[in-house]
Amino acid sequence: MRFTFTKEQDEFRQEIRDFLKAELEAGAFSVDIAELVGEPSQEFSRKLAQKGWIGLTWPKQYGGQGRSYVEKLILIEELMKVKAPIGYHFLADRQVGPALTSFGSDWQKEFFLPSIVRADEGMQFCLLFSEPNAGSDLAAVSAKAVRDGDYYIINGQKVWTTGGHLADYGWLLARTNLDSSVRGHLSCSEFILDMKSPGVTVRPLINMAGTHSFNKVFLDDVKIHKKYLVGQENEGFKQIMAQMDYERAGIERLMQNYPLYEHLISYVKKMDKDSRGFYSWVRDQVAQLEIEYNIGRLLCYYTAWVVDQGKKPTSQAALTKAFCTQYEQRLNDVATKVMGPISQIRQGVKWSPFGGDLASCYLWAPSYTLQGGSVEVLKNIVALRGLGLPRK
Amino acid sequence: MDFSLDEETILLRNSAEQYLRENCPTSFVKKVVKEQTGFSTAIWKELADLGWLGLIYDERYGGSGGKFFDLFILFEEIGKVLLPSPFFCSAILSGLIINEAGDAKQKDAYLPPIIQGEKIFTMALLDEQGRYDFNSPKLEAKETKDGGYVIDGTRILVPYAHVADAILALAEVRGSSAGGPTIFRVDGQVDGQKIVPLDIITEEKTFAVIFEKVEVPAGNVIGSIGKGHIYLNKIFPRAVILKCGQMLGGLERVIEMTVAYVKERHQFGQPLGSLQVVQHYCADMATFLETTRLITYQAASLLSEGIPCEKEVSMAKAWCSDAYKECTWIGHQLHGGIGFTEEHDLHLYYKHAKVSELSFEDSWFHRSKVAEEMGIGSLLR
Repeated sequence: MRFTFTKEQDEFRQEIRDFLKAELEAGAFSVDIAELVGEPSQEFSRKLAQKGWIGLTWPKQYGGQGRSYVEKLILIEELMKVKAPIGYHFLADRQVGPALTSFGSDWQKEFFLPSIVRADEGMQFCLLFSEPNAGSDLAAVSAKAVRDGDYYIINGQKVWTTGGHLADYGWLLARTNLDSSVRGHLSCSEFILDMKSPGVTVRPLINMAGTHSFNKVFLDDVKIHKKYLVGQENEGFKQIMAQMDYERAGIERLMQNYPLYEHLISYVKKMDKDSRGFYSWVRDQVAQLEIEYNIGRLLCYYTAWVVDQGKKPTSQAALTKAFCTQYEQRLNDVATKVMGPISQIRQGVKWSPFGGDLASCYLWAPSYTLQGGSVEVLKNIVALRGLGLPRK
Repeated sequence: MDFSLDEETILLRNSAEQYLRENCPTSFVKKVVKEQTGFSTAIWKELADLGWLGLIYDERYGGSGGKFFDLFILFEEIGKVLLPSPFFCSAILSGLIINEAGDAKQKDAYLPPIIQGEKIFTMALLDEQGRYDFNSPKLEAKETKDGGYVIDGTRILVPYAHVADAILALAEVRGSSAGGPTIFRVDGQVDGQKIVPLDIITEEKTFAVIFEKVEVPAGNVIGSIGKGHIYLNKIFPRAVILKCGQMLGGLERVIEMTVAYVKERHQFGQPLGSLQVVQHYCADMATFLETTRLITYQAASLLSEGIPCEKEVSMAKAWCSDAYKECTWIGHQLHGGIGFTEEHDLHLYYKHAKVSELSFEDSWFHRSKVAEEMGIGSLLR
């Protein structure tokens, strides 16, 4: 049992910090607190790629570094602290790579992995999982993939596609067994879709924070060559569940608004103590946030360690994400109450706290406990998979 | 970061688990707390023979020089079964204070019998309002002409005072030259000392101790005069984290009992545990367990390594206090009426959770300490 980092890990963290400090000082990016990973910047991603910080845990033969998930977590933690613009490679790094490593064909691995690791042009991914009628119940996807010679013909609609308007490729889940008596869990497959394919229409879906992040994606007779089928036909659901572990295990769900937390603490350190009752409440709330943040961080490192031990972290990752996202929501709520009525003012004027980021973060907050599996779905996983409670 | 337990720790945990399972079932706990001693002298002797009482003390006192982390693991096991014994007040609180503050002679005299279980020590720390008054204890020690002291005042919630060979009490010295909070060793059952049994919710043997002109010689001062609060603050984190270990153990057992119950209890023609609302309660408990384990293990591990961790200790106690209690509430909700009966075991943990929450300060206090450690100012006085 050791709750400290090794010398090598400390050095790695310091190297990342030094790099980010230099980038910030050079004005390479500005900190955007509200969004998960900020504006995609291929230029910035390439700089990380040159450091070997994309595909850190992937096998060396595909350009990865073969390093541990704990180290990956150190990297993401430092990137999230300053909200570095990692949107260009983030999804590919987090999910596409591990999925291809586990289920991809040799051709797919050789074609995509080294290219993602280098942050090459044309390697930004989006996820085409959810549909209007398949949200928490992902197995209910109805987008169809019908085999036609060497191709699959795709028809259907996807939604909540983050970055769909910018992505070069989409990671698609579609039904390949159209027999309605077969459960969705056994009838879906995964494909990699070139987003420039004819028949792909991407329309913006503006979120309640006023940001264009999500999209609706319409697929009309889209042709995908069979070499873009990932893994086995009709095994897609199982594969995707394994991928979701990686989506859920990350520390980004704890740190989406991290700089806001730093702003809040430094404000509280200097705040007026005359209103004693209020100050006492603020201290209690902030200390509670600090405890939850620290626990969330331990959960993330523990989950990464579990993965490093070669174990599947399904229930652990679900528990971690549920806990962390609830912390993030509380952070926003507490921060607005500490700052008071000025919290509602968005950016552009001197009166808005933390440059208007507080108002934006509060507007983003409802999404935290929904994306990547709602808290309720995650609790189901903990109960059924973790505790072995009976199904209905 | 390495979340695996050492081989040695696993061995200790397994043997503790086995010993306690065999010797301390809940039926035994319920019975023994009602007896005059409130604990089993046979088990007490075995705790000494197993080397548990002296686990972290130096070999020269008969201890085994073990790691604090292992002691923590042992307390987690003790918490699972709620073993009633003077282990905590004697071998932990009193032992640590003597080890911290005592001179060589006192250590040689007091530590071996504590470690051997031959003598039982306890500590009288709380004032009549149930507060820790480390900085200005309401117990008074007046210096006498012959250099000794006369102690006056009342302490409450003193565990096992009825069997204690000695009571360590924090008293404010009013002397000719030096003064301030000071730790005294007072023999059990001396003239002028009265004990009043307190009927507390866990039924563990607990007393008020009334000191009326109790005379103690100068040699009974443990450590320096005026430094008692410093010694106590020094051992406080270890005591807090061992308490957290017990709470973690209790919490684990509550979840185990509750999950097992909702799997087997049928209503509406199906196991309760197949109902989603019940599953979510259980998932919440699992979350309390995982989080409590990590934050508590972290503090225990840092303490064991000698790494400064005041903040981590307070984070653990704050979280533990709320989480354990919350889980007992969920446990009761899911057990329904049967959990509210004396024949069931759940109430033992419900009571333990509340008593533990309130001992060594509650979550509000510890969050306040976390705030201070974060660099947020103290409350205005």
